[in-house]
Amino acid sequence: MMRNILLLTGTFFILISANSQQLTNTFIFSKMDIAPQHTLWDGNQTMLMGFTPLMSSPIDIPGPTLRYTEGDSVQLQLRNMSQGASHTIHLHGLDVNQWNDGVPHLSWEVGHNETKSYFFKAPHPGTYLYHCHFTSSLHVQAGMYGLLIVDAQNPNETWDGGYSFHKDFAWMTSELDTVWHTDSIINYPHDTTTMVRLLPDYNPQYFLVNGRSEHELVDTNTAAIVAKANETILLRIANIGYYGNKFHFPMHLNARIISSDGRPLPSMVFSDTLDVLPGERYQVLLQGTSEFIDSISVKYFNLNTQNIENTQMVPVTISGFISSVNENETSVNSYIFPNPTNKHLSLVNVRGEMKISDSFGKIIFEKTITANQENLDVSHLSSGIYFIKTINKNFKFLKL
Amino acid sequence: MNKLLLGFFFGVLFSFNSFSTTINKSLYIVADSLLTVDSTKVPYITFNETPTYTQSNPIINLMQGDTLDLWVYNTDSVSHDFVIKGISSVISVSANDSTFLQTVFTTKGSYIYHDPSDFPKNTYLGLAGMIVVKNHPFACFYWNIKEHNSDWNTQLFAGSTVNWNNYNPNYFTINSVSNPNINGDTLARITGQVGDTLFLYITNTGLSIHSMHFHGYHATIKYSSRNASHLNREKDTFPIYPMETIVLKIVPDKEGEYPIHDHNLVAVTGNNMYPNGMFSTILIHP
Repeated sequence: MMRNILLLTGTFFILISANSQQLTNTFIFSKMDIAPQHTLWDGNQTMLMGFTPLMSSPIDIPGPTLRYTEGDSVQLQLRNMSQGASHTIHLHGLDVNQWNDGVPHLSWEVGHNETKSYFFKAPHPGTYLYHCHFTSSLHVQAGMYGLLIVDAQNPNETWDGGYSFHKDFAWMTSELDTVWHTDSIINYPHDTTTMVRLLPDYNPQYFLVNGRSEHELVDTNTAAIVAKANETILLRIANIGYYGNKFHFPMHLNARIISSDGRPLPSMVFSDTLDVLPGERYQVLLQGTSEFIDSISVKYFNLNTQNIENTQMVPVTISGFISSVNENETSVNSYIFPNPTNKHLSLVNVRGEMKISDSFGKIIFEKTITANQENLDVSHLSSGIYFIKTINKNFKFLKL
Repeated sequence: MNKLLLGFFFGVLFSFNSFSTTINKSLYIVADSLLTVDSTKVPYITFNETPTYTQSNPIINLMQGDTLDLWVYNTDSVSHDFVIKGISSVISVSANDSTFLQTVFTTKGSYIYHDPSDFPKNTYLGLAGMIVVKNHPFACFYWNIKEHNSDWNTQLFAGSTVNWNNYNPNYFTINSVSNPNINGDTLARITGQVGDTLFLYITNTGLSIHSMHFHGYHATIKYSSRNASHLNREKDTFPIYPMETIVLKIVPDKEGEYPIHDHNLVAVTGNNMYPNGMFSTILIHP
């Protein structure tokens, strides 16, 4: 069995690449834990059903972030290795056609050991989410969800002619009720004759931002915002839980709410509070004008009682300033070449911190650049699209 | 040429229709029960167009500028109040008595008429319906959304009190029916053709916040009683708070059948059963 899993791991790897039809291809897996192995903030362990970028990856919540560029034609392949129930991917908010909408009884599902593909275009830059729509209330709570981000053609802009920003952060909020995450609830055999399932009451014990809570939000880098004063931050928020969220932004962050559900708001809203209800997404611009350390609070309220049942605090550190000289240098003159590339990549007039991440947002290389031109050897990277983030400008390149 | 002619005739008809008229309506307060999707009978009370009980409150359709002459008859054994939220003053209707209300509707939108006495008790128990005021000729659909805790209904009708802070409903209805009957309600089930302009009028007369997600299409908020600043926002997920009304405009750009469902768990897992509550679809023909 282990040998088979290893073989599969080698065979089914994440592949995001542009082929001759200009199709961006993403491959993900659906899996289920056979025993509690996901560790929560208090040390308790629970079992998950979820999406993973590799067969060998442990299930985490949220699942891998899928990231595309405005106008991309996408093939999203799902291989179901969860041993039981069928699954789908609903591309929440992308308004895809019925066949690719991921609703089982209106299109199709992916059975165990099957691989099927969703095809769609990413027409509007913004923040979206995806989740399984098979017995959706149960499978979403089990962990089958993730963020989907569509970048504008200019990755430093919110949309064509929109707002420019220096860096972005993405938060996905949810809750977890461990009673639902037991073998008798989520580990059930696939039954084609009925879609009706009995579920327990929902009384979550864990309230999450990017799958983490309490001290994890301070100790790990999963959600914390770190930026320089005068840097414009784009905060992407998506709520896939069953509770409402009330965000409170520190006054010094000058929060501006600019878009929701993948569309610009008719007018920008200046507000230090924002309610995000289940299924909604918002994009908020933040900009500190001085150095400070504070937190953004996220209150979780029950939709039926409207009582706030939990508050999570996500740290914000605004430290240092952008030099206006450097800002001008990088934003006006910086560029990369050659692109696409199969061996070397040069970064010109890109100074300061630089990070390269893959299409799932995993940082694979980072460096502080001081020279006018930095030459990188990228020959060891797998084929696909990669993102370069610098203080003032972001790039995307294709490794052949 | 035909389209031009049709457009001309339609324009003429619509402009005639846009002259304000007086609409006469009657609402009878009648207590009975709500027949749920699993055939449970839950004590319930509604407004009705005749003295005969129906479990769905009537939708009163008006054109902008119309005058509504409304008689409210109370066939119940206790007195009730009546108000059109944000429009009229509260008036009392004694048991086995009636009252008259005349209102001119100058602002388009969606409004809630209800019994505000001992709020939220009587509204929660069923006495809440929808008035729609429009100024367009397009296809319209109507959702009066609501949840119910069947045990609470029994207790409240028996004169007991409940702790509203512990509300945990077990049924969800649109126009007083649940999945799969919502798609059979021609007032509720959104249908049309690619390129049509469709309007959906929603009132939330329950106690819970709901979050409606549209597959397939974004819609535009054309009216919100709670957040005027939300006007013209284009979204796919629409929160609607208790006693809020919203109006959505949908112009489908493709054919297909797509779910519209609520991300509040109660609307899909009523009585701890999935799917139970709401799983309606929008059906768009080529």
